[in-house]
Amino acid sequence: MNAKELLNEYLHSGHGCCPGCAMPIVMRTAFQALGERTIAVITAGCFGTISGTFPTSPIKLAAYNTPFASAGAAASGVRAALDVLGDTTTTVLAVAGDGGTFDIGIQAVSAAAERNDDYIYICYDNEAYMNTGIQRSSATPWGAWTTTTPPANLKSQPKKDIVRIMAAHRVPYAATASIAYPDDFIRKIRKAKETRGFKFIYAFSPCPVGWRFSSELTIRLARLAVQTKVFPLYEVEDGERYILNEEPEGTPVSDYLKPQGRFGFLREGDLERIQENVDREWQRLMHRMESRPT
Amino acid sequence: MKKKKQVKKRPFLPPMSFSYEGSQASKTGTWRYLTPAYLNKLAPCNESCPAGEDVEAAMVLAGQEDYLGAWEKITQENPLPRVCGRVCFHPCEAACNRKEFDEATSINALERFVGDQAFQSGKRPPPPQEKKREKVAIIGSGPAGLSCAYHLSSLGYGVTLFEAQPKLGGVLRYGIPSYRLPKDILDQEIDNILSLGVEAKTGVRVGKDVRWAELKNFDAVFVAAGAWKSLPLKVPGEDAKGVMSGLEFLQRVNSGQPVDPGQRVAIIGGGNTAMDAARSALRLGAKPLIIYRRTREEMPAWEEEVSETGEESIEFIFLSSPVKIVTENGKVKGVECIKNLLGPIGKDGRREPRPIEGSNFTLPVDAVISAIGETPDFSFLPEELRQYTGSLPVDETGATGVKGVFAGGDIIAQPRTVAYAIGSGKKAAMAVDATLRGKNAVEGLRSARWGEKGSLSMARYKKGGTDGIAPEVIPFSALNTAYFKRQVRKRKEKLPLSRRTSGFSEVNLGLSPDSALYEAKRCFNCGVCNLCHNCFIYCPDLAISARPDKQGYDINYDYCKGCCICVEECPRGAISVEVKK
Amino acid sequence: MRKLMTGNSAVSHGVVLSRAQVISAYPITPQTTIVEELSEMCADGRLPAKFIRVESEHSAMACVAAAAATGARVFTATSSHGLAYMHEMLHWVSGTRLPVVMVNANRAIGAPWSIWCDQGDSLSQRDTGWLQLYCQSAQEALDTVIQAYRIAEEILLPVMVLVDGFFLSHTSEPVDIPDQEAVDRFLPPFHPRYKLTPDDPHTFNIMADTSLFISFRHEAQIAMETAKKLAARVDREFKSQFGRGYGLMEKFRCTDAEVVLLTMGTAAGTAREVIDQYRRQGKKVGLCRLRLFRPFPAEALIKTLSGMKKVAVLDRDNSLGAGGIVGQELKAALFRAPRKPKVFEFIAGLGGKDITPETIQKIMETTLHNANPNGAPIWLGVEA
Repeated sequence: MNAKELLNEYLHSGHGCCPGCAMPIVMRTAFQALGERTIAVITAGCFGTISGTFPTSPIKLAAYNTPFASAGAAASGVRAALDVLGDTTTTVLAVAGDGGTFDIGIQAVSAAAERNDDYIYICYDNEAYMNTGIQRSSATPWGAWTTTTPPANLKSQPKKDIVRIMAAHRVPYAATASIAYPDDFIRKIRKAKETRGFKFIYAFSPCPVGWRFSSELTIRLARLAVQTKVFPLYEVEDGERYILNEEPEGTPVSDYLKPQGRFGFLREGDLERIQENVDREWQRLMHRMESRPT
Repeated sequence: MKKKKQVKKRPFLPPMSFSYEGSQASKTGTWRYLTPAYLNKLAPCNESCPAGEDVEAAMVLAGQEDYLGAWEKITQENPLPRVCGRVCFHPCEAACNRKEFDEATSINALERFVGDQAFQSGKRPPPPQEKKREKVAIIGSGPAGLSCAYHLSSLGYGVTLFEAQPKLGGVLRYGIPSYRLPKDILDQEIDNILSLGVEAKTGVRVGKDVRWAELKNFDAVFVAAGAWKSLPLKVPGEDAKGVMSGLEFLQRVNSGQPVDPGQRVAIIGGGNTAMDAARSALRLGAKPLIIYRRTREEMPAWEEEVSETGEESIEFIFLSSPVKIVTENGKVKGVECIKNLLGPIGKDGRREPRPIEGSNFTLPVDAVISAIGETPDFSFLPEELRQYTGSLPVDETGATGVKGVFAGGDIIAQPRTVAYAIGSGKKAAMAVDATLRGKNAVEGLRSARWGEKGSLSMARYKKGGTDGIAPEVIPFSALNTAYFKRQVRKRKEKLPLSRRTSGFSEVNLGLSPDSALYEAKRCFNCGVCNLCHNCFIYCPDLAISARPDKQGYDINYDYCKGCCICVEECPRGAISVEVKK
Repeated sequence: MRKLMTGNSAVSHGVVLSRAQVISAYPITPQTTIVEELSEMCADGRLPAKFIRVESEHSAMACVAAAAATGARVFTATSSHGLAYMHEMLHWVSGTRLPVVMVNANRAIGAPWSIWCDQGDSLSQRDTGWLQLYCQSAQEALDTVIQAYRIAEEILLPVMVLVDGFFLSHTSEPVDIPDQEAVDRFLPPFHPRYKLTPDDPHTFNIMADTSLFISFRHEAQIAMETAKKLAARVDREFKSQFGRGYGLMEKFRCTDAEVVLLTMGTAAGTAREVIDQYRRQGKKVGLCRLRLFRPFPAEALIKTLSGMKKVAVLDRDNSLGAGGIVGQELKAALFRAPRKPKVFEFIAGLGGKDITPETIQKIMETTLHNANPNGAPIWLGVEA
C-alpha cells in the first residue's frame, strides 16, 4: 500500500497544531491506513488538545478523550464493549504522546500489553511534555534543553527504550515508524491492524516549537533521525523476533543535532559522547536483529 | 409598536461534550507569514541547450515510457533529435543537476533513443496548420538552414532551400563521417523536414547558379552557408601534392568520392575536424598521426571524440607545431615540427604555445591533412555584406545590415556546434515571423528566452512567453535529494573495438531500452512539478489537494499555516516562498 | 430464591441480574470478594460479560467509563484508597454523563493504615457528581444495584452504591434473589442515545471553553436535581414490582418523634434497637436512616425534620477542620427550613471502631439532656 494511493482523509483542516508539527502528519497517515471503522482513544497531550473545542473537532472518526494516565485502560474498555456488543470489525486505536506512554501513562500501557488486549497503541514521541510547555519527559534525549532542563542542567539521562519495554511484555507486534518513510509507516499500521492482540507503534514526531527548529525541517529531521541511527526503523514480533527495516549508510549524528536549537547548549565533548552512545545503542540493537533489509 | 424580543438562539448542547461540527470554521491561514506557492522553474538543461529544447519535459515523458510524447516535445524545438543524439556536445549534461549528486542523466543518449524510437514507430512531424502567403529563401542546408526551414514551414511559410552541394545536410553530411552519423539517419530526419512542404534546390550555388538579386522575390532571406574555407597552415611546402585540408578530405570521404590518405598521414589540429579526419583516414587504411600545438587538456575536440580516437590507437603528438612540409620530387616525405611550451594565457583564454628554439624534429609522413580551423566565404553575399571577414555581424535578432536578410550558423560569430546552429536557425525563423507579421522581433525573441544563455523556445514564442515557468534556473542546492538513490549511469553500447576501424559502421550503438528507461527515470525533473505527491502527503494541515485533471496541486490558503514543509520536501524545487500573505 | 449470603455476594448477584456487560475492577479490602465472585461468574458463564483485570483503580474507572461511552452496561467496585486513586476519573465520568454503577465498600482512608469501616472515603467524594445510595442490608445492596442502573441510565449520571466495609460486606444474611425475567422487566437493555461508534462519529470530551463549561455543569446540576424525584420513583416502582422498597430515607418511629437520630449505613441497625429501648421508656424518639446522600434530599429532610425539636446526627466520618459531613450537609439543608430543630453532631466509628448500643445511648442521652448542642461535634470512642 502506497502513501500516494490512500485518498480518504479522516482529519479536517483548521486544527490547532503548531505550523510544521509532525503529529498531524502521523495521525493523518495512521488514520488513512486504518480507515473509517476505527475508534480513537485519545489522552491528554498535543493531540488531545487539538481534538477539538466544543462543538467542533478536526477528527472525522469516532473518538474519545480520556484523562492523561489512562489511554491504555480506556482503549481496553472500548475494545471490551465493542466485543460484547458484537462488533469485532471496528479497530480501536489508543493515541498518546511520550508523556502519556513513557511516564504518567506507563502503568496502564504496561497492564494492557501484559493482558494482550486487542488494539493498536500509537505513541507519537515529541520527546518532552510539549503540550504543557516543553517540559522534560523520560523520552527527552540526553543533552537536550527543555524548560525543566535548562542549560545549566540539561537532560542527563538517556532516553527510555520504550520499544524494548513493550517487547519485554511479549506483545505480538511492536514497531518504530517515521513519517519520512510513509510507505513503511503505512505498512506497519496495516500489519498491526491485521494482527490480533496488543500492538505498539512508536512514531517519531519532531516538534518545531519544542526542539527549536525552523518549521519546514520536520520531515528532514524525521529522516535524519533514521539516517543517523538515532531513531532506528525496526519491528519486533512476539517480543523476540527483531526485524530491521532500514540500514542507513551512516550519517554523523551532528547532521541531525545541528538544526535543533535544543541541542545548542552541548558542552565540549558532548557531541562525541552522543555519537558514541548512538553507535553503542545501534550495536546493541543489531545483536538482537534476526533479519536485515535485503 | 412593541419591539420584538430578541431571543438569543442557544447552541445545541448535548448532555456531554462531543463534537458535531468539523474544524473548518477555523481559518488557520490567518496564522501565515510565509506563503508557499507552486512555481515551475527552468531546469538548467533547458537553459543550456543551444537548440532551446524543453529537455526537462522530454525527460519526464521518457521516464513515463512515453517516447513519442518526448519526441513531440523535442521536435517542437529541434527537428533533428536522431542527429543531435549522435553528434551534440551535450552542454545539457554539463549543466545537469544530477551531476552534483552522482552522474549526469544521459540526456544525449536519450535524445537519440527517443528519435530512433519515433522513427521505428513511423512518427512524423505534424503538417503545418495554416498556409501563409509569404516565402522565405534559405541559403545553406546545414543544421542552421534545416532548422530554419523546419520552423518556418511549421509556421506556414513557403520555404525554398538553396544548397550548393548535390545533397542536403551541410556539415552533417559532408563534415561528420558515417561512423558518427550514418547517412541514412540524416536522410530520414531531413525527409521529415521536407515533408512539411519545403522546396529544396540542390546543386544550386547562390552567387553562381542563382544571382543574389533573384532572391528579392522572397519576403526574407536566411543566410546559413556555414564556414567551409580552411585556414592555411602558413608553412613552406603547404601546396605540395598530398597536402589537403581536413574539410576537403572529409567532403570527399562523405560523398563517397575516391581519396587517398596515404600510408602515414599527419593530421594537424586538435578540433573535431582533426579527429574526424584522423579516424576516417584510419578506416581508409592509413596510419594517422595527430599533431597538436598544445596539450590534450586544451584540445577543442569533444572529450568523447578524443577518447574514441585514442581507443582506435591513433597516435597523438602534443606540444608540437609544423614548421615545414618536407617534400621530395614534389611528394610529401615528412613534416618538420618544433616543440612548444605553454606560455601565459592569451586573448582567447588559452595558454599560448611558445616554440622551443632548436627543438625541431621531423616525422616521416607521406600525406598531411591540415585541420586548424575554418572560416566562412562571403563572396556570394550582396556588396554591403561582402566586406566582412571572420564572421558576419548580426544584431540580437539575427538580422544583418541588409533589410530582410538574416544570418545564422557557423557564418556568424557563435560557437561552431550543431546545437548552436539549430538554435540560430530557429531564432531566425522567429525573427522572420515577427518581422513579417509586423510584430516587434526583439520583444518576440525576449519572450521566447529560456534562461540567460541565449536559448530560445518556439513553444514559448508561440505563447508570447506565457507558459507558467519562472525565469529563474533551479540550482542543485534548491533540490531535496533525499528522494533519490545513487544510481550508476548506464553506459552506451558501442561496437567492439575490433570491428570499429574496418569500415564506417556506426561506432556508438546507444542505450538499450532498459538502460534508456533507467536513465530517463534518473532525471530529477528539476524545477517542474511531476506529481510526485510529496507535498500532498506531508501537509500537516491537509491544505494541499491534487487537481482532478492531474495537472498539479492547489494550496488552500484558508488553512495553510506557512510551515513550508512542502517547499522543503519538493524534490525538485517547484514550490517557492513569498514573504507576504 | 432465598439464599444466605454476604453483602458483597449480594452485590455480585445484583450485577449478574442487571446484565452488566463490561466489568473492570482492582481488588482492595474489603471489596475483594465482589471482584473474585464476579470473576467466577464470568468464567462459568453465569455472567456473559467481559472482565478486564486492570492494574489499578484509576485504570478500572477509565476502562469502564470508555466501555460505557461505547454503549456497554458496566460495573466496577472499590473502596477507600482505590476510590481516592480514581478520584480524577470520578469527575470525568460524571462530566461525560456516563451511567456507571459502582459499589464502594466503605473503609477508612489512611494514614494511618486501616482496613475497617469508615464512611469518610465515599463522603469525601461527594463533590464528584456521583449519586450516592447508602445500604444497610445485603438485600438492600442487591436491590439498590438494580435500581442504580435504572436511575443512572435515565438521567445519565453515575451512581455509587455504598456498603459498610466488613459490617455489611462480609456479614451474611438471608437474601431474596429476584427472578431474572422480573429484573429484565424492571431494567431494560442499555441503549444510549450518544455513544462511540463509527456509524455516527463524534469526538467525545472535547474542550468546553470559558463560555460553555458552565452550561455543561448547569445541565448536570439540573440532572442531579431531577435525580431526587427519580430515585424516589424508581424505588416505588421497585417496591410495587418486588415488594421491597427503601425510599430516599428510612423513617423509623418518626411520626410523633421529637428527637430523631439521623445516620447512614449499618449503624442504623444498632440504633433501631436503642430507639425501641427509649420508646419503651416513653421517650419520643425516632430514627432516620439517610439512604440517598447525593443529591442531598434537602426537601424531604426538611419535611421530615422541621417539626422535630432535636436531631442527633451520627457521622461515621469527619472532615478535618469542619466536622462530620452528614451533619454539615444537614445543617446547610435545614438553614432553609421554616422550623429548625437543634442539631447535635456526633462522630463515632471511624476506622471500624464498633458503634455499639452503648454508643447510641450516649448519643441519645447527650441529645435528650442538653438544651443546645455544644458547638463542635462530640467524638465518641476516643481513648487517651
